[in-house]
Amino acid sequence: MSDFATNVRVVRALGMRSIRQTFRRPQLMAPIVVFPTLLLAIQTGGAGGAVNLPGFPPVQSFLQFMLAGAMMQSLMLAGNSGGIALAVDIEMGFTDRLFSAPIPRYTIVLGRLAGTAALGLFASLWFLAIGLIFGAEIHSGVAGALIAIALVTAAAMAVGGIGAAIALRTGSASVVQGLFPLVLVVLFLSSAFFPNELMIQPAKAIAEYNPLSFVAEGVRGPIVSGIDATELGEAVLAIVAIVVLGLVLSARALRHRLKVG
Amino acid sequence: MESVATLPQWRANLATIAALMARAKNELLRVPGAAIPGVLAPTIFFLGLNGVFGALTQLNGFTTGSYESFIVPVSMLQGAGFTGAAAGVNLARDIEGGWTDRLLVSPAPRWVLLAGTVLSASARALIPATSVFLIALLLGAGWPGIAGLLVTYFMVAAMASVAACWGSALALRFKSQSAAPLMQAGMMGLILTTTAYAPLALLQPWMRSVAEVNPVTQVMDAARQGFIGGVSWAETWPGIVALAALLAILGAWALREMRRTAV
Amino acid sequence: MPAIVVQGLERAFDEVLAVQGIDLEVDEGEIYGFLGPNGAGKTTTVRMLTTLLLPTGGRATVAGHDVIREARAVRGSIGVALQEAALDPLMTGRELIRLQATLQGLPGAEGKRRADDLLERVDLAAAADRRVGTYSGGMQRRLDLAAALVHEPRVLFLDEPTTGLDPVSRKTIWEEVRALNDEGTTVFLTTQYLEEADQLADNVGIIDSGRIVAEGTPESLKAQIGHPHVQLQLAEGSVAEAEEVCARIGKLLPPKDGKAVLVEVENGAADIPRVVRALDEAGIGVESLELVRPTLDDVFVAKTGHHLEKDGEGDAEPEAVEA
Repeated sequence: MSDFATNVRVVRALGMRSIRQTFRRPQLMAPIVVFPTLLLAIQTGGAGGAVNLPGFPPVQSFLQFMLAGAMMQSLMLAGNSGGIALAVDIEMGFTDRLFSAPIPRYTIVLGRLAGTAALGLFASLWFLAIGLIFGAEIHSGVAGALIAIALVTAAAMAVGGIGAAIALRTGSASVVQGLFPLVLVVLFLSSAFFPNELMIQPAKAIAEYNPLSFVAEGVRGPIVSGIDATELGEAVLAIVAIVVLGLVLSARALRHRLKVG
Repeated sequence: MESVATLPQWRANLATIAALMARAKNELLRVPGAAIPGVLAPTIFFLGLNGVFGALTQLNGFTTGSYESFIVPVSMLQGAGFTGAAAGVNLARDIEGGWTDRLLVSPAPRWVLLAGTVLSASARALIPATSVFLIALLLGAGWPGIAGLLVTYFMVAAMASVAACWGSALALRFKSQSAAPLMQAGMMGLILTTTAYAPLALLQPWMRSVAEVNPVTQVMDAARQGFIGGVSWAETWPGIVALAALLAILGAWALREMRRTAV
Repeated sequence: MPAIVVQGLERAFDEVLAVQGIDLEVDEGEIYGFLGPNGAGKTTTVRMLTTLLLPTGGRATVAGHDVIREARAVRGSIGVALQEAALDPLMTGRELIRLQATLQGLPGAEGKRRADDLLERVDLAAAADRRVGTYSGGMQRRLDLAAALVHEPRVLFLDEPTTGLDPVSRKTIWEEVRALNDEGTTVFLTTQYLEEADQLADNVGIIDSGRIVAEGTPESLKAQIGHPHVQLQLAEGSVAEAEEVCARIGKLLPPKDGKAVLVEVENGAADIPRVVRALDEAGIGVESLELVRPTLDDVFVAKTGHHLEKDGEGDAEPEAVEA
């Protein structure tokens, strides 16, 4: 059996565990989907008049516009929760068992991220369904939906990588959990919830360069207006950038952990 | 052999409430960093809301040109909701750990035990409220005047009591900290399905209907007065009535749950 | 007037009957030991008697007050130290006792005075201003006990007061309980340790699966079961011969614990010389001989068919130094 095949099996096994863990505890899963849904309803109902603002992009409804933001929130929370799960594994000593097995380190992180990806997938499907139920159209139809789903799932994994890096570095679930407000901050400083042109400084300036803005716009495009190659490309690049960041941080954290024990 | 040296009941009650409030402050003063989440969350929300939705003031019919001024009371009340719900989480933790048994086995009346939790939350809510208020002033929100500020702080303290009753009722009902998300989400829903993001006329139709029946809308409008204009009794008393009604209903529920927990 | 009267007390949780109609009476000034294994219903009973749990049947009075209709009066007359020491790790020992004093309605100055006295009494004066979170298990139990005494209650409820403690801490608690009882306090204590019930209690109620299976003084309960027996390990000679010899002196019992011969003797220690002489005359060498008196565990086995404590558990621990 080649090394590669073994590694694939390991990732699959850890991935299945991670996915099972995620969906077996609905009370932990719920906040990742319920809170953003609540916020979606509230923000749509409260700030929906925004569509009448001069300069607001043409949309079918504010709900249609906001779906991407809700998905962004969920994927960020999913990434955070993946980090927490890994930190719990570390606290429990489960990762020690994995570290002392003859498997490459990256399989451990990758396996964990499978759970995060599953959550991202679930969240994207959930919000697309919510959108359709409440009358929002998906402009680019099935293709558009698939693109949105793919981007959200990939972004969830990417953010999960950062969460995993923090977990590996700190080994503490409560620290990772405490970073949750940061998740909100980063999202508010992006165009997840509002068109960048209409945001207020200095948030506007920060959002212009925030990689999450590119992801959000990549997810939103197919839903609201159509599939745009540039937008899509920028979103993918942004995700890649986050992935790279996560990998670099994770690798360093792993080295640190093995040194420190 | 029963003790002869006991205080008259009303003095004993006051002393008990004071002692329970003194204990509650340990949470903030003796646990490093404990105050941070309670202050951070509403402050972040304030900054975020402002940066994201600030352009809404350009809409026809918006009651002020300054979104900071408009949403200051939202974040202050959110801080109150968060603090009150957190009091419920602490109570759930105390129940799980057995501490609450000590209180229930004493002859202190049940409402006195509840009052200790609720009043502590009221007092604690002033901390995030002040943090949000100061940051808002820095960002250019209008000075509400002394009367406006007093009204707002009063609404904040009372809202925290309402949230604490809600959190306590859930804690006593489920006896578990896993009810925490429900405590937080409930208050968030209550406070934001009001004139939080925009004036009544500019809300979407379904949200407008909800806001019209939601008592916290009165609280929100009362708390907002000084920031967007002048303070009047006509705008203030509906908020007081709304808070009194919420306190009566949720307080009664919490008390009932406390009585059902023990004999 | 009895300090505690229980009639047909019952508690059901959904389908399960945790306490199935128990009756008992505790006189004033008595120490009553409620003995039973984990899950027998001891804690449920205590929670009903201390008004923390509503009975689903029957009635009970504590210090003359009905636990359901006069719950507040009951709470003013009792002191309670529960199995989960209800302590706050962020408070100091002194703050906790003073809070308890306030809960009981004592004026501030009186509370302060009693806190000082009680902390001295349970040997926590030095640690009084340290946070409870830094206390050892034994210290926490002593603090819990002190808090239960702040208002000089007529009836003291102790739910498994020494579970998990080392032998030295356990003895300390026992001494304190005896001292309190000497001062007139009625004590209702639950325990899973038969030595504790044996040593402390004036009366013992043995509970299993929600029912009281035996009640009485420790001596009378043990006497019910029968007589002491002699356990023999042989050095030489056949077991069959030894059994024949012993059967003439007392009643043979089935062997257990790896001992060769067990014989019940009516007169206890007085019969030992007879056994020894008879075996010696028969040329049977004895390696070891032990007189075993019935224990409350024997009572438990006789009434329920299983042991109270598993083999090896219990109080046969070497002396340890307190942490």
